[in-house]
Amino acid sequence: MASIDLDKMLTKIKSTQWALSDIDWDAPGAELITEEQWPKLKDFMADLMWIEHVGARAFAAMAKKAPTDTLRQIYTYFHAEEQRHANAEMALMKRWGMLEGDEIPEPNINLRLVIEWLDRYSDDMPVYVLGTVVPMLEIALDGALCTFLLETVKDPVCHQAFEKINDDESRHLGVGFSVMEMQGRGKTFIGATKMLAPLLDPRLMLGIASYVPLLNKMRDNIITMGLPEERLYAAMAKFEKIGGRTEDGRRNPWFQVIRQHAKLVVNRRNHVYHVPVDGMVKLTGLIPRRALPAVPSWVRELTYQPTA
Amino acid sequence: MTTSSASPKKAPGKAATRKRPTTGKRATVKKTPAVKPAAVLIVGAGFAGLGMAIRLKQAGIKDIVILERASAVGGTWRDNQYPGAACDIPSNLYSYSFAPNPNWSRSFSGSEEILGYIHHLVAEFELEPYIRFEKNVEDLSFDEKKGIWTATTDKGEQFAGRAAVMAQGPLSNCSFPAITGIEDFTGHKIHSARWDHEYDFTGKKVAVIGTGASGIQIIPELVKQAGHVKVFQRTPGWVMPRPDFATPAWNKKLFEKLPASQQAMRNLLYWSHESMALAVIWKSPLTRIAERVARLHLRRQVKDRWLRRQLTPDFTIGCKRVLVSNDYYPALQKDNAKLITWPIARLSEKGVRTVEGIEHQVDCIVFATGFDVSHSGTPFPVKGRDGRVLGEEWQGGAQAYKSINVSGYPNLFMTFGPNSGPGHNSALVYMESQLDYAVKGIEKILKDDLKMLDVKEDVQRRHNKAIQKRLARTNWNSGCKSWYLTDDGFNATMYPGFATQYAAQMAEFEERDYETV
Ligand SMILES: Cc1cc2nc3c(=O)[nH]c(=O)nc-3n(C[C@H](O)[C@H](O)[C@H](O)COP(=O)(O)OP(=O)(O)OC[C@H]3O[C@@H](n4cnc5c(N)ncnc54)[C@H](O)[C@@H]3O)c2cc1C
Ligand SMILES: [Fe+2]
Ligand SMILES: [Fe+2]
Repeated sequence: MASIDLDKMLTKIKSTQWALSDIDWDAPGAELITEEQWPKLKDFMADLMWIEHVGARAFAAMAKKAPTDTLRQIYTYFHAEEQRHANAEMALMKRWGMLEGDEIPEPNINLRLVIEWLDRYSDDMPVYVLGTVVPMLEIALDGALCTFLLETVKDPVCHQAFEKINDDESRHLGVGFSVMEMQGRGKTFIGATKMLAPLLDPRLMLGIASYVPLLNKMRDNIITMGLPEERLYAAMAKFEKIGGRTEDGRRNPWFQVIRQHAKLVVNRRNHVYHVPVDGMVKLTGLIPRRALPAVPSWVRELTYQPTA
Repeated sequence: MTTSSASPKKAPGKAATRKRPTTGKRATVKKTPAVKPAAVLIVGAGFAGLGMAIRLKQAGIKDIVILERASAVGGTWRDNQYPGAACDIPSNLYSYSFAPNPNWSRSFSGSEEILGYIHHLVAEFELEPYIRFEKNVEDLSFDEKKGIWTATTDKGEQFAGRAAVMAQGPLSNCSFPAITGIEDFTGHKIHSARWDHEYDFTGKKVAVIGTGASGIQIIPELVKQAGHVKVFQRTPGWVMPRPDFATPAWNKKLFEKLPASQQAMRNLLYWSHESMALAVIWKSPLTRIAERVARLHLRRQVKDRWLRRQLTPDFTIGCKRVLVSNDYYPALQKDNAKLITWPIARLSEKGVRTVEGIEHQVDCIVFATGFDVSHSGTPFPVKGRDGRVLGEEWQGGAQAYKSINVSGYPNLFMTFGPNSGPGHNSALVYMESQLDYAVKGIEKILKDDLKMLDVKEDVQRRHNKAIQKRLARTNWNSGCKSWYLTDDGFNATMYPGFATQYAAQMAEFEERDYETV
């Protein structure tokens, strides 16, 4: 399958924008959330919203490093679109009475660490590192979480919002995998050794140290929600399938790294991986919030209000 | 694309050629033998057109007609009266050396004061009688047999001249940008270059779109007046500190009593700007230093890391116009101001919708979105020998000889022509060399009673080859998008060198470069 035409994609992105005010957030249907569902859904939505927001920040970093002007513009739009997803999900939470006053829900500690890492180091990362991790997060977390949400929640407004969000996501993934393939086209891009060199960068290691427990943590959250963890794994398998559909894609060393890691995540019997990582989740859970620096100011840009 | 003249983007040439009934056009020219041709016909009464008239008068050529579409002189400085409007080249350099003003109140004077200086030029050199106001030129055609240029206005009036000077200004046409939904917005709209002085900003919610040279001057002033200001930025520019201060009284007196001291000051300013060329035009160690100065300026004025990131440019300094301001960054951080870097999705009835899904509702939108610059056309049809149309020849990018003459268009001189743009020095320094060159050419036409003084085609071709080769190595062509470049990345705007080099190029008027008839 040939790579998509990025210039055409940019035009399409520009012409298919939507806004929060396109949705009537007060329309009937909010009562369809059951009392039993409510508390779990609240945590779930908070996580989901933060994942979108983290994705947004990652796209912002990618925009700075994009190899072409078209990609730079695309990532700039994706940055804003992920923010829109977060805003829309917050608007749903508001609708369901899940926001205390105007408060932005607190991110869990693992997300908090990822936010911290993104804020400090993501702008210095080569585009191909984030360019592989982001599609993985999008397909696995976004993908699995969104489908599950739509299966369990009957509120039509939620469905309306996610129809729009998913349209955006399909474009994110289209671009994401296409770029991974471009990067696998070694000669035009960069040699494998050079591409893997950042693995030795301590800043990236910190990133890995926050990404790895995040996945396990999300798995745990999903189980609490009543979503079979296999669903998450199925979504992760999609990453391998789509990312590896072409020779170029498979040749991208970062695709290989992320794919191998995904295998570890999926294989619960691999104690060598899961015992220490689950330990990390527990350990990070012990980090007192006071120990973390103040949230970066980009976090304060989130809003559930369609107009400002 | 333009406020009052044909759109160059829409290739006026094309339509014009198809329906160019050679006889028809000629007929109109013939129909008006009543107009006695002036020696020189000038289009535009801004700095360029007026300066041209002054230099011609000083050379003893007084049979001049200046056509100006507005009802007042001043061009840029008549139109750009937005709050905070000022020059960003020190006034002692942004003025004519043949008409020094000892009384500049500040190092960077405001728009009103500059306009005052222009009015003073008109009075001192007695230019008023030459100017015909409200003459909007829509066509400029050359009659080969007679060696005469005829300008036709939108009202059908015609004016003729043996030589013509196009001084209509590079930045004189503006329009609201083609943002989706602009016609849906029901609030107030203002373009920076057509300021609405009646509108009261007190307590209003205002959006400013654009953070270029005009935007960063307007924003600090609006933040002082308006209830809330949202600034929509697409790309941040490099901002340098602005060494602006009021001129002390003793200084004015000194300049007045001892003009040589003002000349010395001008020289000092000239050379300090010339040295900036090294940083701004080419990538050199000075480029890095200039970027560091700008970064320090940002770091000193903006403490928040994310805001600083939003304001940090990601192109080489000089690739776009370098901005100067001391109060722009502080203004953005006032409680009633906010910088928004989300892309604009569309305008709606009530405001600006950005891609993060939010509608920013405002009472008024200020468009500081710049000007309609024609890189590959002309603002009105210009027809030369054998009915050729300049806009057509320039389709792939404008080209001229020494920025001032174009082969096939005899006796025509243009100020601010192709590749005459200064990136680092006063436009008027460049203009002075153009004016003096034009005087030489016009003197030649009149003295030798020439029908045609036409630059040779191969001379022009060689000149442009050299220019484009030199441009390839400059920061302007280093990859950022700017109004200096055509959509295809052709640079028909900037001069790739020092002002001194440009002046040297213009100092020589070589007769052998021209065909004379
Ligand atoms: C906000 C702003 C700030 C600037 N600051 C600086 C600075 O600090 N330093 C610097 O070097 N340069 C600066 N410039 C560039 C500035 O444009 C030039 O320095 C200079 O003023 C241009 O003079 P001009 O006479 O060529 O054009 P203009 O001043 O634009 O004059 C052209 C005149 O021609 C008239 N005209 C146009 N079309 C027609 C027509 N078809 N028929 C009849 N008349 C017509 C117009 O009405 C106008 O009066 C600035 C420009 C702007 C917009
Ligand atoms: Fe998303
Ligand atoms: Fe996404």
